[in-house]
Amino acid sequence: MELYEYSAHELSAMLSEKKCSSEELTKSVLDRAAATDEKVGAYLTICGEEALKKAREVDEKRGKETLHPLAGIPIGIKDNISTKGLLTTCASKMLYNYVPPFDAFVMKKVNAADMVVTGKLNMDEFAMGSSTENSYFKKTHNPHNLDCVPGGSSGGSAAAVAAGSAVISLGSDTGGSIRMPAAYCGVVGLKPTYGSVSRYGLVAFASSLDQIGPLARNVRDAAMLYSVICGHDAMDATSQDRDYPDFTKLLNSDVKGLKIGIPEEYYGDGVDSSVKEAVMNTVRELEKKGAEIVNISLPSTKYALNAYYIISSAEASSNLARFDGVKYGYRAENFTDLTDMYEKTRSEGFGDEVKRRIMLGTFVLSSGFFDAYYKKAKLVALEIVKEFNAAFEKCDVIATPATPATAFKLGENIGDPTKMYAADICTVTVNIAGLPAISVPCGKVNEMPVGLQFIGKKFSEQTLLNAALAVEELNGEVRPVNC
Amino acid sequence: MAIDVQHLAKLARLRIEDDKLAKFEKDMESIVAMVEQLPEVTGDASGLDPEHPMKLREDVESTDKFTRNELLANAPKMQAGCVVVPKTVE
Repeated sequence: MELYEYSAHELSAMLSEKKCSSEELTKSVLDRAAATDEKVGAYLTICGEEALKKAREVDEKRGKETLHPLAGIPIGIKDNISTKGLLTTCASKMLYNYVPPFDAFVMKKVNAADMVVTGKLNMDEFAMGSSTENSYFKKTHNPHNLDCVPGGSSGGSAAAVAAGSAVISLGSDTGGSIRMPAAYCGVVGLKPTYGSVSRYGLVAFASSLDQIGPLARNVRDAAMLYSVICGHDAMDATSQDRDYPDFTKLLNSDVKGLKIGIPEEYYGDGVDSSVKEAVMNTVRELEKKGAEIVNISLPSTKYALNAYYIISSAEASSNLARFDGVKYGYRAENFTDLTDMYEKTRSEGFGDEVKRRIMLGTFVLSSGFFDAYYKKAKLVALEIVKEFNAAFEKCDVIATPATPATAFKLGENIGDPTKMYAADICTVTVNIAGLPAISVPCGKVNEMPVGLQFIGKKFSEQTLLNAALAVEELNGEVRPVNC
Repeated sequence: MAIDVQHLAKLARLRIEDDKLAKFEKDMESIVAMVEQLPEVTGDASGLDPEHPMKLREDVESTDKFTRNELLANAPKMQAGCVVVPKTVE
């Protein structure tokens, strides 16, 4: 086996036992990226030299000081997470040349753990999309079938981990942007509780929904990385100050007595029957191991997608007002006055999907429409929260398909925005309610991976990771795909 | 519902090219038709999560140190240590 094929927890042991060096490992991952990325297109920026330099530094330190378990392990970073001195474009022409002068909170944590950053990963422009086709720079392909999308918006983060061009990666999830690509690419993706990972340095899309989280080829790796990035940060007013444990210590796949809620609304007509079957077969396997199945109901789910697109677009239209061509990023070349500069810069700098979302947000917040759209959407959000609270009186976790179908073909949905939006149907409720959720591979349909989503109460990441570990044990850990 | 895309674009400081207008109108109308399917709910949507309130940071001096050049390095146009923009005052 090549070094890039091992998981982070295996490599952690191999590095500490000096069976390999971080430099050898980093080289193996970079070689894998060189061999696959022309086809997969996961990376926007590869920083090979800096990565090897960092790897050698970690190798030098090893044995002399106590290192973090993830020290020397290569990681890829979604391109909307600010990396000091390293291009952070959000896959937009608007930020094609933007080099942050500071690190995001999560990057400070990743750097403090001595992880090796291999580069920045492709995404839908400003994280708006479900296929990574909205990137200004390139398309990313699903390593399981290069004709299919990797999902989005963290498509590069999922594809790199699936292909082995990253051992582990960071993504962000506003309405499913970690879980959906994780499901499509057959890897594990955790969307943490809102407030458990600081958003400082994450380029804002919808601030009340955005959350950074890990993507990995197995649950233990995801738990390791989540343990690194969670924690309180004074720079994010929504960051929760509480004790965050090491989530790897209590990892346990015993599901005896675990009450798994099955909400009928997530198994309706809009969800592919073979996907439902794969998910339910897995749930029944867990039942055989002692879990208890509880039927629950989340009736407002049918309005969740609509509420989500209203709330997220409203916040986006406000957040993206900062891109005006004045202080950073793209500026149009010829203009007559300041307003002309703003309008030309924004029209040339943003892609069509970003423009649609900004205009939708502008519309729902505009005078005369606010009550009918934004206010109503916030009330629906409150209903969704109440229904989840009631459901968690009866169960410990909720199991659903992570996506209504497996990965679709490139170009299949790009012409029809509402069809594309429907791909988020199983994931958006979680962001609206601020809950944690994880997608874990649970088999394949027509050679393409299916993701099972576990949703939990706020700050129940340990329960989710443990349940996901039980699913992983049924199917075995994922290895990089041949592509 | 008919959506006045040109008006929305103007509010958002965007411009939609003439050849793309028809597609934008069609897309925006179908998006609005989708999202407006919401039930009649009443109540107060403030304070969605009273158990996990936001916490303001202490009002203390920031320890982050940047030089002027670091912060201005991304500016599209600079002159004498300042960002250059078109004339804003007549």
